[in-house]
Amino acid sequence: MKYGISFRDPTAETASVLRERATPLDTVKGKTIALMDIGKMRGDEFIDRLEQLCTERGIMTRRYKKPTNTRVAPREMIKDIAENCDAVIIALSDCGSCTSCSTHDLNDLDKKGLAGVSVLTTEFEQAFESQKGAIGLDAASVYVSHPMQNKTTAELHQCANAAIDEILQAIARDTTGAKVLEMA
Amino acid sequence: MNMNVKPQDGVLIFAKRECETCQMVEQVIGQIAGSMPTIVYTQDDPSFPSTVLALDDSSLEESFAFDVEAVPTVVRVKDGKEVARTYGWNRPDWEKLTGLKGLGEGLPEMRPGCGSKSREPGVYESLRAKYGKLDFKSRQINLGEWDDEIEACFDRGFSDGLPVVPPTDVRILRMLEGTSRNPDEIIGDVPPNLSPITVEKVAINAVMAGCRPEYMPVVLAALEAALDPLFTMHGLLCTTCFSSPIVVVNGPITREIGMNSGINCLGQGNRANATIGRALQLIIRNVGGGRPGELDRAVLGGPGKFTFCFAEDESDPTWMPLSVARGIELGKNAVTLFQGDGIQGFLDQRSRTPGELTKSLAMSLLAVGHHKLCEFTNAMLVLVPEHYAIFREAGWDRVRITEELHKAMVRPGRDVIQGAQGVGEGVDKRRADEMINKFWPEGLLIVQAGGQAGLFSAICAGWTGGRFRNESKPVTREFKL
Repeated sequence: MKYGISFRDPTAETASVLRERATPLDTVKGKTIALMDIGKMRGDEFIDRLEQLCTERGIMTRRYKKPTNTRVAPREMIKDIAENCDAVIIALSDCGSCTSCSTHDLNDLDKKGLAGVSVLTTEFEQAFESQKGAIGLDAASVYVSHPMQNKTTAELHQCANAAIDEILQAIARDTTGAKVLEMA
Repeated sequence: MNMNVKPQDGVLIFAKRECETCQMVEQVIGQIAGSMPTIVYTQDDPSFPSTVLALDDSSLEESFAFDVEAVPTVVRVKDGKEVARTYGWNRPDWEKLTGLKGLGEGLPEMRPGCGSKSREPGVYESLRAKYGKLDFKSRQINLGEWDDEIEACFDRGFSDGLPVVPPTDVRILRMLEGTSRNPDEIIGDVPPNLSPITVEKVAINAVMAGCRPEYMPVVLAALEAALDPLFTMHGLLCTTCFSSPIVVVNGPITREIGMNSGINCLGQGNRANATIGRALQLIIRNVGGGRPGELDRAVLGGPGKFTFCFAEDESDPTWMPLSVARGIELGKNAVTLFQGDGIQGFLDQRSRTPGELTKSLAMSLLAVGHHKLCEFTNAMLVLVPEHYAIFREAGWDRVRITEELHKAMVRPGRDVIQGAQGVGEGVDKRRADEMINKFWPEGLLIVQAGGQAGLFSAICAGWTGGRFRNESKPVTREFKL
């Protein structure tokens, strides 16, 4: 990422230079989680599996899909998510432009008070760190192995299986859904 | 010779075409260059002087590096080090410096030069930021290539809700020119996080607020007053009440920096009034961490929490300025910080005598906080010229007005105790038999300000912390430039 203008931090040097992210939910029980598909190819297969995993756990979800991964989400979509959901999972970024745009989406939703997490491939960890630094949000992220475009659907589902706990922990302290509670 | 390599022994000449003296010595420069190793730096036009192949220094990097103040400047270098310099045209100096005789025959003996472009207003700090060694302690924040710096400040929570000026290095350097104090100097610990604040950090927030460098002494004084433990900034910031610091500035600086003490002085439109108060608020927010909803718990807040700063009108010699009433010598610069709310208008266009006006003012002042609460808050009365004229013409001065107002606000305890008049709020029931003052004797601050027309004064209610008479007080502080 190229840098542009720079200026000096007006806050106390003991404070974090990044804005604290919105507080994660106490519990996912009874909450609606937005699953935002950034519109990148193959991301929908990963999110399909995330949706299944949430449903299996009794977590309510609501699907969204950006028209393109190369722009930030339409304002109406951000508004809809903020009005109808309690937290957001944004997936799956595996390129520079989608990493940048999805981090801005995460920031826009954070400013509306939604705890969120971005799911990216390992190759874009540095890009995410740069973008969140430039935005100034202490944003949360979870990484799955890169590359994803040549993975089979089964492999993508496997990635989702492996990442689901970490993803949910990023948006809620208690990730036990309604069904698990019922079983208990 | 290679013009890009500075000679170990020779001269460096700095010039610009727009300088008439530089044009006058164009031939002399050629004469020198023909006799000894010479590098000529031109600040504006690389084709000037025509007598030599000059190096383009329109970036002013070399002019800055050699700290050139005027052109032409001739620097003598020996063993790679500067050993002498002269500026302007002065034949004996130039001949001595170059060791050449007969320079500039036919020219006058001497003629002053012009200012170096590197010293033009605003340029020097830009060059310092670009080429100089900066010693800022504050972290640098780098934005992405396409990021908007004002949006970036919003995103990071640095703003009070209005756009801030991004504190770039050059702007901070310019702001620091407004004070002789060392950027490293620690002013105090800013609540609520009690984070130490340096002059540099004050300058950064002053830039963001939109201050000019010459406001810095006022901003620093206001901050020092706010951090005086007696001002209880910590409680004032975190309170559920409306209050925030109201900054009243006295002394000649108010005229020098163009503060407003007249028409609409409590309102918008004057840069110094607006940005000095805002700088203080941004410091509390950014350095202290006092952000609404977090530790700033005001139930409603008030517009004064953006900024509330004005100058007292000192043009009427019969009026004792607030700072003088609070112990500062007349003619000295001072700030007074009052813990106050927004304004309550006082409308009286009928009173003709000081007695009538006092009674009338007392009625409105009694409403401060709550009509039945006494010795619970302080108050600031901003008396406009037309109201003051009624007192002045009867020979009443500040002391008399204050005294009479206090007297007019004494009430029997039975009328204001809790439950009296069917209202639960009020003073302690045990005081039913006392005569009770509305304010502490020192708790009514009167300031004279406002436009010449309009019988509309203003009352700023004080903060409830004022009930702890000896723990929380307004603070006045003299300051020097």
